[in-house]
Amino acid sequence: MSMLIYGLITGILFGFLLQKGRVLRYDKQLGALRLTDLTIFKFMGTSVIVAMIGVYLLVDLGLVKLDLLPTVLGKNVLGGLLFGVGWAVLGYCPGTSAGAAGEGRWDALFGALGMVAAAVIMAELYSTMTPASTGGWGDFGKVTLPGVLGVNHWFVIALFVTLYLVIFRWVEKKGM
Amino acid sequence: MKPADDGGWSPYVAGGLAGLLLVLSVWFTGMYFSASNAFVRTAGIMETLVGPERAASISYFTKYVPTIDWEWMFVAGIFFGAFVSAITSGSFLLKAVPDMWERRFGPSRPKRFTAAFLGGVIVMFGARLAGG
Repeated sequence: MSMLIYGLITGILFGFLLQKGRVLRYDKQLGALRLTDLTIFKFMGTSVIVAMIGVYLLVDLGLVKLDLLPTVLGKNVLGGLLFGVGWAVLGYCPGTSAGAAGEGRWDALFGALGMVAAAVIMAELYSTMTPASTGGWGDFGKVTLPGVLGVNHWFVIALFVTLYLVIFRWVEKKGM
Repeated sequence: MKPADDGGWSPYVAGGLAGLLLVLSVWFTGMYFSASNAFVRTAGIMETLVGPERAASISYFTKYVPTIDWEWMFVAGIFFGAFVSAITSGSFLLKAVPDMWERRFGPSRPKRFTAAFLGGVIVMFGARLAGG
């Protein structure tokens, strides 16, 4: 029960911040995909920076564990391409479709309905799938970038933060 | 006309705070942010309401049990949080067809809703395939 309340509170705060960052809008999401308005990229960028540093700090202190999903190139690439097509047509991703509806953009509700419909179709297909057909090409298991490169994670974090800052600076100069 | 500035924050600041929220969530509850499971559970809950016996026989719903969990409440929370922020800053706006869409594809609602629905289907297939 307390987990449900934590989920609700976390969601409310997250939805609040998404709305404040003005990232719940079709025009902003398409603006990011068309490289004309990088509001979403900025929001995600500082999110990633803070979360990357904070989570690894907690990992180093032994307070939390990473929750990794396996890297399966075939699935990740094909799924990513499909996700991109769907995202460009809908203009919201699964999480932001809920937020966009909360902001009054009710075309997002039809997107959410489509997502539930997709889950119904998947559930029907799932029972007919064999383990072989659901397995993917290029299965690397649960890996991390620092693990693959064989370097300390703070090296990778510093590299990403620097990269983000350079891009932020360039984006601001261009006024995107 | 709506003012150009509708109470929004710098995306850098809002994004940084969202990152901090994730860190606190992981620290105190062990939960990372993810949304797509909630739609699968919703599908399962609806199928269970329509036909409990049939839904119970679907193995996908044994893997993703049709129940309301942290993630489902998280997605519901996103809706309410966005609503509260929009209402209190005067930026709540009932809108069916986005501006950029209308400029390219016209003001037709059925057209926009159909595209949104199909986009939703594709986006969820992609998310589930990629492991999101």
